[in-house]
Amino acid sequence: MSAARFDEVIHPSTRLAVVSLLAAGDWVDFGFVRDELGLSDSALSKQLATLEEAGYLVLERVTNERRRRVRVRLTPAGRTAFEGHVAALREMVGRAGLRTG
Amino acid sequence: MTDSLSADDAASALAAVDLGRRRMIDQVGLPSWYWAGLALGWVVLGVLADAGHPVLSAVATVLFGAAHATIAPRVLDGRHRTRRVAVRADLVSRRVPLLVVSFLVAVSALTVAAALATHADGARHPATLASVAAAAVILLGGPQLLAVVRRRAVRELSAA
Repeated sequence: MSAARFDEVIHPSTRLAVVSLLAAGDWVDFGFVRDELGLSDSALSKQLATLEEAGYLVLERVTNERRRRVRVRLTPAGRTAFEGHVAALREMVGRAGLRTG
Repeated sequence: MTDSLSADDAASALAAVDLGRRRMIDQVGLPSWYWAGLALGWVVLGVLADAGHPVLSAVATVLFGAAHATIAPRVLDGRHRTRRVAVRADLVSRRVPLLVVSFLVAVSALTVAAALATHADGARHPATLASVAAAAVILLGGPQLLAVVRRRAVRELSAA
């Protein structure tokens, strides 16, 4: 369990949605993230670039059945940051005595 | 930033995190081609059993078993239903492979029982009839089995 640490890079709603998906997978196809979150290619690319710059994810280009695909994978640093961010959010909610889920 | 964030905002953010996990749990399952291939193989083996060529039937059974043994380790964990995601192991029950294999053992037993019953009833192609019925059970029951696994994973997530 990571120490609670609010993460400014992850917190914006679109990036949080992206990282939440990635954190639940070993890797996720770019198109899957785009379709699930209803984003355009460019909007998603922009968010991924920010997360990649922070060292939170890597983009892998793979060829599948002669089709080129981009897989997105959280780095260990990205996973630690996400877990710390979730722990920080839980602490805030816990302090206020709110229920989630 | 945390100072300006209300507990309600934090709760909304946690709900978004939860939604991400649920979306990935929806991806838990086995590829549709696995169930289709299994059902097709089952019918082919049934037809061969009725065709009266025991050697051919035995060879086909061995080949079918070998093919399944090759493919199964890659898909039976339930984490690669599509080629678009690989679900994290901690979101998927470790019992999925055992569950699927148990299901297939039960279908095998059912196939033999159905073939014996239809043979006793005078059917001309008992193994074929039984295997077609078993294929239908595989095609309908297999995905349903994994749907139960997904529902259970969501319940566990909600309870966490």
